[in-house]
Amino acid sequence: MPISKNISTLMKNSSWIRAMFEEGEELKKKFGTDNVCDFSLGNPITEPPEALKNELIKVASSDAQGMHRYMTNSGYDNVREEVAQYQREITGLPYTRDHIVMTVGAAGGLNVIFKSILDPGDEVIVPSPFFVEFMFYIGNHNGIIKLVDTKDDFHLDIDKIKAAISRKTKAILINSPHNPTGVVYNEAELLELADLLHERSKKGQRIYIVADEAYKKIIYNGIKLPNLPNMYEDTVNVTCHSKDLGLAGERIGYIAISPRIKNVRSLIDAAIFANRILGFINAPALMQRVVAKFQHNSVDIMEYQKKRDAIYNILVESGFEVIKPEGAFYIFPKSPIPDDIQFVKTMLQHRILTVPGVGFGKSGYFRLAYCVTMDIIEKSRPHFKEVGELLRKGQK
Amino acid sequence: MIISNEMDQLIKDQEGWTRRMFEEGIRIKKLYGLDAVCDFSLGNPDTEPPETLRKALIDMLSSPEVGTHRYMSNNGYEDVRENIAEYLREVHGVPFTAGHIFMTVGCAGGLNVILKSMLNPGDEVIVPTPFFWEFKNYINNFSGVTRFVETKEDFQLDIGNIEAAITKKTRAILINSPNNPTGAVYHEESMKQLASLLNTKRELGQDIYIITDDAYKKLVYDGIQIPNIFKMYDLVLSVTSHSKDLALAGERIGYVAISPSIKDMDLLVSAMTISIRVLGFVNAPALFQRVAGKFQRTSVSIADYEKKRDVLYAILMEAGFECVKPQGAFYMFPKSPIPDELEFVRTLQQEERIMVVPGRGFGREGYFRIAYCVPMEKILKAREGFLRTGDRYYRGGK
Repeated sequence: MPISKNISTLMKNSSWIRAMFEEGEELKKKFGTDNVCDFSLGNPITEPPEALKNELIKVASSDAQGMHRYMTNSGYDNVREEVAQYQREITGLPYTRDHIVMTVGAAGGLNVIFKSILDPGDEVIVPSPFFVEFMFYIGNHNGIIKLVDTKDDFHLDIDKIKAAISRKTKAILINSPHNPTGVVYNEAELLELADLLHERSKKGQRIYIVADEAYKKIIYNGIKLPNLPNMYEDTVNVTCHSKDLGLAGERIGYIAISPRIKNVRSLIDAAIFANRILGFINAPALMQRVVAKFQHNSVDIMEYQKKRDAIYNILVESGFEVIKPEGAFYIFPKSPIPDDIQFVKTMLQHRILTVPGVGFGKSGYFRLAYCVTMDIIEKSRPHFKEVGELLRKGQK
Repeated sequence: MIISNEMDQLIKDQEGWTRRMFEEGIRIKKLYGLDAVCDFSLGNPDTEPPETLRKALIDMLSSPEVGTHRYMSNNGYEDVRENIAEYLREVHGVPFTAGHIFMTVGCAGGLNVILKSMLNPGDEVIVPTPFFWEFKNYINNFSGVTRFVETKEDFQLDIGNIEAAITKKTRAILINSPNNPTGAVYHEESMKQLASLLNTKRELGQDIYIITDDAYKKLVYDGIQIPNIFKMYDLVLSVTSHSKDLALAGERIGYVAISPSIKDMDLLVSAMTISIRVLGFVNAPALFQRVAGKFQRTSVSIADYEKKRDVLYAILMEAGFECVKPQGAFYMFPKSPIPDELEFVRTLQQEERIMVVPGRGFGREGYFRIAYCVPMEKILKAREGFLRTGDRYYRGGK
């Protein structure tokens, strides 16, 4: 066999995803793509801001030499300086360009961080439901994932986190705004988390908070993302411009390593080194130059908020139990029957494509990614109603 | 400790002397000014992408299609892969299709994706030395074991040594031709011998893959042709990038070409799809995939590199160095005049302000690497320094 046992197991475990994907494709062939409501993919249809497209042309047209060569593994100095300035503004902490490593998206950034900090057997706590790739990122570097259930409203359960901490705990990986629930962790719960981790650091155990902030700018109703690096010293923020600037396919993001971390230089060096040996070498050159100028921008958040409101209302009207998300572009309703895979299959019959909660470590739920056109969302209304009706009848 | 023990060890293993040398280099550059220093230490080509490529890039950005910057399939755009397959069909005369091409984040990304997909812990990968040091890190990323095998005096493959290094655990042999750091291009004859050796193993039930790092495949001189390995052996995975041939190193674009003779191709592609995702690459950068799709038949000026090779080689000969004349890439790997090449490299840096890399950085002490992907003026400027150095070591001058 040309492939490793490890990968072979991974493939078997994810075979249902493929099966579902293929059923979806069948459906699209049968009814036409426009007549199927595909909420299964987190691939935003939003285009980059017009100003960014213009900047791309400007940068590509530049006569400067060396625009496409290798640069330092951490990225261009001036790009990192721009990012550091943005980090200074939002945190009030003295980030410099040295604290920034440009990466191949957030997925690249997380792999770099875990390669840098994990020894075999080290544990990383991940609140569940969770983005299932996290399990692989941690496993890649021989770490062990410790899943901890969140509360009913998908917020952090600090007691459960406390119970999950062992001497092997090296980090807690949080993702807010959250995929798949759309929850945004509030200041109070993060302060509690910081207190808990401070107790451990007093006893000599350093536990990092690794924050996946891929959706940090997609946040609604004027709420603000809490300033995590100010609450807890050992914080590493990982982000990307896939969602906020609509550049998912270009693979551009960065790691911001808190200046409050003691002996931070060795972590920075390790991250730069990991960026090299994992084969990323550096974040794509042209996109680095472009995103540097767009730290304060994002795609139209109001558009997303309108979509959130529309899909939320449709779900509630149709009788689903669901928590209203405050960020990202996901919503995670309860499945009316315990078997979420079965339910997702039922919805397929009604031309709605979603992902079962088991794909995020939480059976009995399902995820909708509403980064689609408003048209599709509106089109889904009667179909959701049908499904809702059906289930009410079934329950009688 | 703030970082993992494994990482700490990895850094210590290789960064000790490179860092010292790097810092010494920065000091010298500051002291004498950039212009006074001849830096041959980095494989970062000073060449610009072809003008036609720049134009195509601007055109593409000026009339953007909707969805240009979104995610696509993990293996890359279908039309881009089809273009590459067509090019490879022409070059190799084997039936590549879009399904055999897998777009990657450069060669380094491609190698990591392949190794993640193939290696079980403890599996061995044979690497001829001297070698590009990162190979060891890539193999180690997936708990593989690197088996080093010395090449011959002229840096060509030593099939006897390779045969002796094969064990039951051998999964692949990773070859890099044109080679970094020697510039050697493996001969047709030695490749045939390698294929026949591995075919013998296949008959005994052991499949050993040839993974070729073809990052420098278009940079060959003297009108020679790279042997067509796809026609010699079935189990071939070729990894390449456009860092050198299109001078796009910073954009991280490359691909893996899977031999159509590999029967389990679908299985391998499924595995690579997972690997590219979970390793965090997700997909090769979208915009430069489209660029690469259009420029398979183009490259930077090879004649310029060949001229630089000739001039540098002549200088080294005049100075009295012993050196195998390279036929590809943009590296030269002369013998150090004294056994301790670290000492020699330091002297060259301090006395002549010429920066090169000690051979131990490539697993071969007593040699040093010159990367001549620099402007011709720098090569000419270094002439005096090399000549004086030759005098000092070979003719007892001061």
